[in-house]
Amino acid sequence: MKLAAIKPVSRVLARELGITALLLFGVSVVVFAILYLAPGDPLNVLLEGQSPRSELALGMREALGVPRTWYGQYAAWFGKMLQGNFGNSIRTGLPVLPELARVGVYTLTLTLGSLALTLLIAVPIAVHAAAHGGTAGNTAATLVAYVLSAVPVFWFGYIVVYVFIHQFGMFPLISGTAAKQEHAWLYFLVPIFVLGIASGTLSEMIRHLREELSRVLAEDYIRTARAKGAAVWRHAFKEGFLIPVTEIMSAKIPFLLGGAVIVEQVFNWPGMGRMAWQAAQDRDFPVIMGIALVAAAFVRLGNLLQRVVFTAVNPRASRE
Amino acid sequence: MDAPLLAIENLRTYFYSRAKRAFIRSVDGVSLGVARGETLGIVGESGSGKSVTALSAAGLVSAGPGVISGRIDLYSNGARRNLLDGLENYARITERDGRVMEVEKDERGWRKRSETLMAGVRGKEIAMIFQNPRSALNPYSTIGKQLVETIRLHTSLKGESEAKERAIHWLERVRIDSPRLRFDNFPFGMSGGMCQRAMIAMALSAEPSLLIADEPTTGLDVTIQSRIVDLLAQLKTETGITTLLISHDISVIQRLSDRIAVMYGGTVVETGRTAEVLAPEARVRHPYTTALLASIPSAETIRRKSYLQAIEGEVLDTIEVPRGCRFYGRCNRVTEAIRENCAGLEPPLGEVAPGHKVRCWLYPATGKA
Repeated sequence: MKLAAIKPVSRVLARELGITALLLFGVSVVVFAILYLAPGDPLNVLLEGQSPRSELALGMREALGVPRTWYGQYAAWFGKMLQGNFGNSIRTGLPVLPELARVGVYTLTLTLGSLALTLLIAVPIAVHAAAHGGTAGNTAATLVAYVLSAVPVFWFGYIVVYVFIHQFGMFPLISGTAAKQEHAWLYFLVPIFVLGIASGTLSEMIRHLREELSRVLAEDYIRTARAKGAAVWRHAFKEGFLIPVTEIMSAKIPFLLGGAVIVEQVFNWPGMGRMAWQAAQDRDFPVIMGIALVAAAFVRLGNLLQRVVFTAVNPRASRE
Repeated sequence: MDAPLLAIENLRTYFYSRAKRAFIRSVDGVSLGVARGETLGIVGESGSGKSVTALSAAGLVSAGPGVISGRIDLYSNGARRNLLDGLENYARITERDGRVMEVEKDERGWRKRSETLMAGVRGKEIAMIFQNPRSALNPYSTIGKQLVETIRLHTSLKGESEAKERAIHWLERVRIDSPRLRFDNFPFGMSGGMCQRAMIAMALSAEPSLLIADEPTTGLDVTIQSRIVDLLAQLKTETGITTLLISHDISVIQRLSDRIAVMYGGTVVETGRTAEVLAPEARVRHPYTTALLASIPSAETIRRKSYLQAIEGEVLDTIEVPRGCRFYGRCNRVTEAIRENCAGLEPPLGEVAPGHKVRCWLYPATGKA
């Protein structure tokens, strides 16, 4: 990056980080409100089989130090959160943050891996279609990609599970023992493959990149590049490739996270999605809050990346 | 013509319209020559095929099912090369009853062939400047970078710093003020006139044999237009570069070109020395040239406050080309004596005086037609 571009980039970075902080605060309030207003009480899990209105419940609350009012509850959580303490899981009693970090790595592997796979498939198809128009080959590839993207990810997941695990018995579906099995690496690759192909990102990525790239290739300045005998891709790269790819990546991260929840269920993948699913069923408030914040931060990170790339690349954006 | 640099012979550039099952004959049998050191101006309305002629010469015709035939010979370094060599083999045309049924074109092969033919020609031998200079420069790159790229591609200066010095030298030559500062500017921070100057600097920095200027003043403010014309005139005397100048503005052509070719409906209707063709007292003149001249506001028309003369009728539809003269439908000088010819037979481009050719039945050729 040129020295001149660092100043605008750092300015954008500072602003975006500020927005991120505000946004995370907003997310925590909204999620808290939803949880608070939703029926059900997390303590029911601990008091299974007993009347929730009994003396026992009240005593339990006091023993756990849960404030009575909603704002008291939120303030207590918020205060601890600022110190990096997201509380303990009501179900397991384990601290939320280390648990999140443990499963977060799995989810990150799953989503980033699938994003990389999507790019790996989408980019050649889109670039070929933009450069050569609709040939038989790339039209067929695009069509297949569109059909796969339209397939529900859970259904595709079950088909894969059925074929590879039940029919061929290639690898087990239990995370803990997987590493010791013969095809253990498949256990890691298959969910990534399923999410990368069927999350719906593939078709959007092909379409966006193809459209943007072919628009840019028709620009006057590309004709100038050709007229002066320069390499066209060097001139088209920034506007026709870098910007649309980061745009679509950042726009698709929320969908990937949503897809991850499902894929993790199907493949018994020990990630955040499965943890969220479990926590939602248990009304495990601290865990849900923690996951919501981490997911929101992840989404914002994608946007941040896109803004930074756009500012670094686009001279007009850097001189506002 | 002595020492030609570029010779276009019977160039036909057609685009196929699938919907209409017909060819749009953008350029329909054009023959032109540009001699070393001269400026040839091509003038005509929008749709007359002048820009497509230029783009064909630069190998920039890309639109899908287009068909190109004829020859474009470039004489450089003592060798002659046909820039269209073998291109027509990549398209197969199926015709029935005079109607085009299908055009099968191997586009990849065609493009590959075109790239091979143009390698070492584009930028190096033939440089081009365009209309709307702001959008013709890469908005994501500085002026300086774009110039340096051209210089390192086409000259012996390969080092970054010497290329930069040369780039600044060229920015000075096109009279951009404080070129060292402008070097780091992006096109969006510059005016249209500045951008066109930078475009010209970029084109000339490769020291090409031929400069194709495709409507270089279109899309600029009127005052800037005349500045750019001044600059082109100055550079012409300074560098003596051979130029193919395309413009719909006949006054720009008049100012800059040694010879002129007037195009209508994809064909050349009149060509000759500019001074001769556009001389006020010229005895022989194609009716279309007359009409073009009448559409320029002159001091005379302004003084008399008379209306500008618009050319009646529509620009020729190059799909359904008439059997006779292409200008027949709009011509106001058809006489009864020649009407039959005008309506039914395309006039040849006849030589009416040495070097002066007119495609009109009014002027029977003096030499052999």
